[in-house]
Amino acid sequence: MSQPLSEIVDRADTLYNDIDLAQVRATKERTGHRAVGYMPIYVPREVVHAAAILPVGLMGAGDRIEVIRGDAYFQSYICQIPRSTIELALTGRLDCLDGCLFPSICDVIRNLSGMWQLLFPGKYTRYVDVPQNYERAVGGRYWEEELRHLARDMGELSGHAVRDDELRASIDVYNRNRRLLGELYRLRAEEPWRVPTWEAYLVVRAGNVLPVEEHSRMLEDYLAAARSADRPPRDQSRVVVVGSFCEQPPLGLLKTLERAGCFIVGDDLVLGARWIEGDVSLEGDPFRALSDAFLTRSVSTASRYEATAPKGQSLISTVRRTHAEGVVFCAPSFCDPALLEQPMLEQALDREGIPYTAFKYAENLGQFQVIREQAGTFADSIKLWSEP
Amino acid sequence: MSPTIVTAGIDIGTSAVKAAVVRSGQGGGRERQDAVLASRVAERIRRRDPRQVIRQCYEAALAEAGVDSKEVAYVATTGEGELCEFRVGHFYGMTAHARGALFLDPEARAAVDVGALHGRAIRLDERSKVLGYQMTSQCASGTGQFLENIARYLGVTLEEIGPLSTKGDAPEKISGICAVLAETDVINLVSRGISVPNILRGIHESMAGRLVKLLRAIRAQGVVLLTGGLATDEGLLCAMRDEVKSSWKAGAIEVRTHADGVHAGAIGAALWGAYRHERLTTKSSQKEIGA
Repeated sequence: MSQPLSEIVDRADTLYNDIDLAQVRATKERTGHRAVGYMPIYVPREVVHAAAILPVGLMGAGDRIEVIRGDAYFQSYICQIPRSTIELALTGRLDCLDGCLFPSICDVIRNLSGMWQLLFPGKYTRYVDVPQNYERAVGGRYWEEELRHLARDMGELSGHAVRDDELRASIDVYNRNRRLLGELYRLRAEEPWRVPTWEAYLVVRAGNVLPVEEHSRMLEDYLAAARSADRPPRDQSRVVVVGSFCEQPPLGLLKTLERAGCFIVGDDLVLGARWIEGDVSLEGDPFRALSDAFLTRSVSTASRYEATAPKGQSLISTVRRTHAEGVVFCAPSFCDPALLEQPMLEQALDREGIPYTAFKYAENLGQFQVIREQAGTFADSIKLWSEP
Repeated sequence: MSPTIVTAGIDIGTSAVKAAVVRSGQGGGRERQDAVLASRVAERIRRRDPRQVIRQCYEAALAEAGVDSKEVAYVATTGEGELCEFRVGHFYGMTAHARGALFLDPEARAAVDVGALHGRAIRLDERSKVLGYQMTSQCASGTGQFLENIARYLGVTLEEIGPLSTKGDAPEKISGICAVLAETDVINLVSRGISVPNILRGIHESMAGRLVKLLRAIRAQGVVLLTGGLATDEGLLCAMRDEVKSSWKAGAIEVRTHADGVHAGAIGAALWGAYRHERLTTKSSQKEIGA
């Protein structure tokens, strides 16, 4: 018998609120495996998984703790996620992690990796510097070496050296997870009244702390339950949300957008889980397969260098593919990558005649009235004043 | 323009639910000049489950219009729309009140929506497109809930507020900024023996002062229609007219009311619902909701 929708969402909500990582501690106790945290956006979780280590996504603390000590480490013009991450660590909530990976998102996260090394000298810390050159002979070679280096490190940490066949098996497991995420996003774009974004977000985000196999089962259960749920179609404006790829918006903000009359049919929330578009090849050298996938099928986002594709092309293609009627720029305050890219994306939307609105948030934002007004008027302007 | 489209609008406020049923012909576009108000009902929430009140109010509006729920092409909400599980679409309060104001008074080029918790001025064009708006800040002073509280302290019914206020001949000044200070002012006035009509008149003048400032901020011109819960409060209307007369160029602004002004949000939502229904029933627009 399939699991009721409310049970799945409640479980995902519990995991979302589990800032003490009780789920991770339980998994470690049950399996005897180690756990390594990673910051947004992308790390090759397959490599971590192949070393029998649980990858744990760290996405700040939202509005669930008061940041006191974390504020001492950053200037006032720095975003919220590094503050709350430091606060979580200094209050012992991340003690169950045996290491931490810091992908190259921006200078702030790079600096955070340095602080981590100083604050937790006994823990494994690595800054994961992704290639800026997308030629296979240059960036590809570099990235493949980085992946091998990471695999060696993970093997040493867990005492379980990564074999090619095990890495291939891990790629297979993550391919399945990505396919299910793709299915969830497609269902939401086709029938958004069946998949409220706040629910989908909770279910996707559960993958931060659950073993990937368990997360895939949760996705399957949610998809089955959402498809059969008695939720009548509604008339809301279809929008794509952009800019939330690193520091995540509070859940209340996502609910506010939908209550204000928007259907979110595309977004860049928890983007690392969907970073590779399509399957990673299971043929040949698995490190090369991961590297090739990164070079050729990474998603387009502000913190990824793209030499050739014009800015905005991917966003416009998402708008077309999801039949969206507008774009909501929803970026964290002081997010350099998102806010520096935004004017270029706006220009691209202007050229295509796609309406948009913009606001900023912090992960601990608690008041949504102004955003509700803005989103409500934006949704109405699309529904009532756009050309039929 | 036939056959007829029947749509319903439900305005879910903080203290009351208003529902309206509208009939209009196919092909009416945004204007829907043939639209007829079939019924309108208001129900106060009074500590009940709002979902239950919404259902009762909707059913009462259908019964008054002689319409079966299956005939309703589109149920549109405004206000706290998420409380209405059977809605098809939702419109923001300003959008709905602007449309309702234009329907009730085709000459209206601004609306002042005074509800339980907020007051807002909306500038609109001849198609009811919102051109600008201003809201009161978070303080409840100058809104319906505040007035209702004061009426309770003074021992007068809501229906008595307007007529009593118009009898005030020496109104006392009340704080226009803070509801707490205003309530303290009222307590002081009562202990000083100021008459109820003069207290109420003072409150209405204070509210009018704030609302007229909002109208000035949106650069309102021409006919302004009062909408929302206090739309038919004659004391407020009187005070608004006096405030406009004393602070605005003669003839620039004319404040009006309408017997159905309380229902403007629900009526506007129903009218926009009819427009959306028409758009969605065209083949291309069906894709918009993925149908």
